[in-house]
Amino acid sequence: MSQTSDSGESSPASRGRRSRSPRAQEDGGDTAGDRLRQLSINEGEDRDRDHNRMIRIQYRKLISTVQQNREAMLNSKSNKLTEALEEANRLFDGVSRAREAALDAQFLVLASSIGKEKANELQLEMSAFDSAAFAEDLLTFMGINRTEVEETDDPEDIPGGFLPSDAWQTVGQEALKYLRRAPTFHYMMGSFKSEPPVPKQRIERQKKASRGKAERAMPAQLKKMESSHQEATEKEVERVLRILQTHFENDPNTPISFFDLVIDPNSFAHTMENIFHVSFLIKDGLAKIKLDEDGLPIIEPTKPTRGGEEDNRTGARNQVIVTLDQKEWKEIIEIFQITEAMITPLSQTTEDEMETE
Amino acid sequence: MSQRKRSKGLSSSQMTDGEEDCSPSQRDQPFQDQMNQKVSELVQFLLVKDQKKIPIRRADMLKTVGQKYKNYTEIVNRAGKTLQEVFGLQLMEIDTKLHTYILIDNLPRAEGEYLCKDKEKEKMGLLLVVLSFIFMKGNSVKDTALWEFLRLLRVHPGKPHKVFGDVRKLLMDEFARQKYLDVTPIPLTDPPEFKFQWGPRAEKETSKKDVLKFVAKIQGKDPTFWVSQNKEAEAEAAS
Amino acid sequence: MAAQMTNAHRRFLQVLMSNGITEASQARKLHQHCCEIDKVYYAHDKLDDFISTINSHLQPLFMQIRKGISEEDGRAHYAVVNLAETEVTKMASDYTETELELFRKTMDLIILSENGFASSTDILNLADQLKTKKMKKKEAEQVLKVFVEDKWLSEKNGEYTLHTRCIIEMEQYILSNYQDVARKCNICHSLAIQSQVCECCGIGMHLPCVRKYFRGQAEPRCPKCNEFWSCDLPGTSQMGSHTHHRAHSQA
Repeated sequence: MSQTSDSGESSPASRGRRSRSPRAQEDGGDTAGDRLRQLSINEGEDRDRDHNRMIRIQYRKLISTVQQNREAMLNSKSNKLTEALEEANRLFDGVSRAREAALDAQFLVLASSIGKEKANELQLEMSAFDSAAFAEDLLTFMGINRTEVEETDDPEDIPGGFLPSDAWQTVGQEALKYLRRAPTFHYMMGSFKSEPPVPKQRIERQKKASRGKAERAMPAQLKKMESSHQEATEKEVERVLRILQTHFENDPNTPISFFDLVIDPNSFAHTMENIFHVSFLIKDGLAKIKLDEDGLPIIEPTKPTRGGEEDNRTGARNQVIVTLDQKEWKEIIEIFQITEAMITPLSQTTEDEMETE
Repeated sequence: MSQRKRSKGLSSSQMTDGEEDCSPSQRDQPFQDQMNQKVSELVQFLLVKDQKKIPIRRADMLKTVGQKYKNYTEIVNRAGKTLQEVFGLQLMEIDTKLHTYILIDNLPRAEGEYLCKDKEKEKMGLLLVVLSFIFMKGNSVKDTALWEFLRLLRVHPGKPHKVFGDVRKLLMDEFARQKYLDVTPIPLTDPPEFKFQWGPRAEKETSKKDVLKFVAKIQGKDPTFWVSQNKEAEAEAAS
Repeated sequence: MAAQMTNAHRRFLQVLMSNGITEASQARKLHQHCCEIDKVYYAHDKLDDFISTINSHLQPLFMQIRKGISEEDGRAHYAVVNLAETEVTKMASDYTETELELFRKTMDLIILSENGFASSTDILNLADQLKTKKMKKKEAEQVLKVFVEDKWLSEKNGEYTLHTRCIIEMEQYILSNYQDVARKCNICHSLAIQSQVCECCGIGMHLPCVRKYFRGQAEPRCPKCNEFWSCDLPGTSQMGSHTHHRAHSQA
């Protein structure tokens, strides 16, 4: 079982108990088997029962002790394994039946497993590796500060120093010198699995105004971009109509100046869009433009009537062509004192105005 | 695959109809180009697969090359040569039964280089410490012994670690799948216990000698201080 | 016939690969270091040739060491990039498909924006609209952090833009897929993610390019339309890329 004699344990020779059967030494001639049979027939049953029970208890105690102190027994300087074996030897002398012998066998399995482990470690015994010392030296290498004690709530944590946050990087840096690890290639180009549609229009950011309220606006705007252009136009035309109708309902007697409606003093581009959308309303007969006393265009939603034809003809005759360049746009804003857009741009739209998505 | 034209003036008696592996000089240009392309594809494949450091299966390599492709061996060899020539990396088979491969760095080691991201560096630090413990303790340790040792370094298997997170998972799952560690259950143990040994990747990426050097450096001693480990390391280096 | 690769070349390539992106002065030091270790002839002004040798061997693999200029500080950087899009390149395992989708949507926001930045709020709002798999805001935050660590995005004051590494690798992809929207710098003709724009004629310029171009000029004027350049010049009041162009009033 063991390979060197430098341990505290005894050599196999002195443990040659396997070759000995109980009391065979004294009796000489009888075989163990004969002896056992004789014993179980001859001895008084009551005395046997108590005796055997005691043996079993002691074996179990021995096995339990050995199991719980396994690590201690592995310590090369320990004699405990030999002592346990000697104890088992002693117990075996009192064994007379298979039942107790089985416990002895169980103990032997345990002892030999420990013995094997010990032998394994004995190989390195000449160059003992003190793992605790290694751990301490590692901590030192990592830059542990032993004067400062780290506050820790964890009872498991071993006190005795503050470990810097780059401790493992320090070890890692050194470790790389001993590992032939291949560097890896990382890239983004070519890693995409599919080709989603890419929005092609620049998002017109409404500067400061949109920042606060734009929580939902940006993704909504992206959505608008992705749906077909025609759909978007239709939706917007409807929205403009509703705005027009709302204003007209609030004050049916005051005509709405066309310029008031379409001009967005903050964005020339948006103004152009508004004109575009309003032209649809007129074309479809949903709104009509008239000229007021001053010759300036006013707009109102058409009332739905049965006799459509007449109205259409009327509408067609009253179509006005509006052209506007940036200079004129600015002039109109000044002249008409337009401070805010009636048709709010989408990015500033409130939940109420937005059609449910 | 297009018909291979046989070039004139063949003197080799091995060339018969249906012969698959002709020598390169006797192939025509389109075939050469296709071969080159396959080699390049395989090299790209190997580089991408190595990102996660999980050993690459030959079956997957075959799929990239095209299963019908008969010159598989030559393509793999040339891919290996390209990796060496361009990157200084070596393609190595670590399991001859399962036919799995890894890439390792073949350049002579030098100081002061930064070949890793920080997160990887830390993991490698832990790995080397574990490999050291295993070797110095006789090439095989029980999980309980390993955890007991790591606790001394403020690394606990049950507690999430600030740097490593779930350490048990890192050691028994990630390092095991990457074949840095070999984790096997000990039979007839309940609750199940495990033993830790070096995995085939560790055996290729480092050596007992290097690990002993590391331990020696940390402890400020000469490697020969540990006589039997040193003997073992020398023996391995000699073989 | 291209020059032979030596261990110095291989070592240089390995380090560049690991870094992802390397600043030019670092690259020069590395060039010297590699030549010294591997005992290869070193000439300090031959870095470009050195890199060309490597690139000639990387070419069949559709890889390249590519040089680019940072939009932040104008410094040159080198990155090892992938140029192909194949079944093999799609096997990259750094990010899941969902994470890549988030990245692409972030890229959309950045490129379509006026100033080349996308706010974290806007990006996080996209997280639960992803087609592949919805992502919680907390998860998306973590993913953004990884993108920054890996140098695909860079972050400033809660806003994200493309990292120089990303621009170097993705320039061609962006120019072809965002044709009408992506800007090219009027000075250096490269892709400009962050830029200053002339309100009048719409041309754009990188901030470092603006700085260089207008250096020493009393009155900055647009190189194309000659109108007064209305943006704050970087390096004067507050340097950085956060300059919005002001509403330009006609005289």
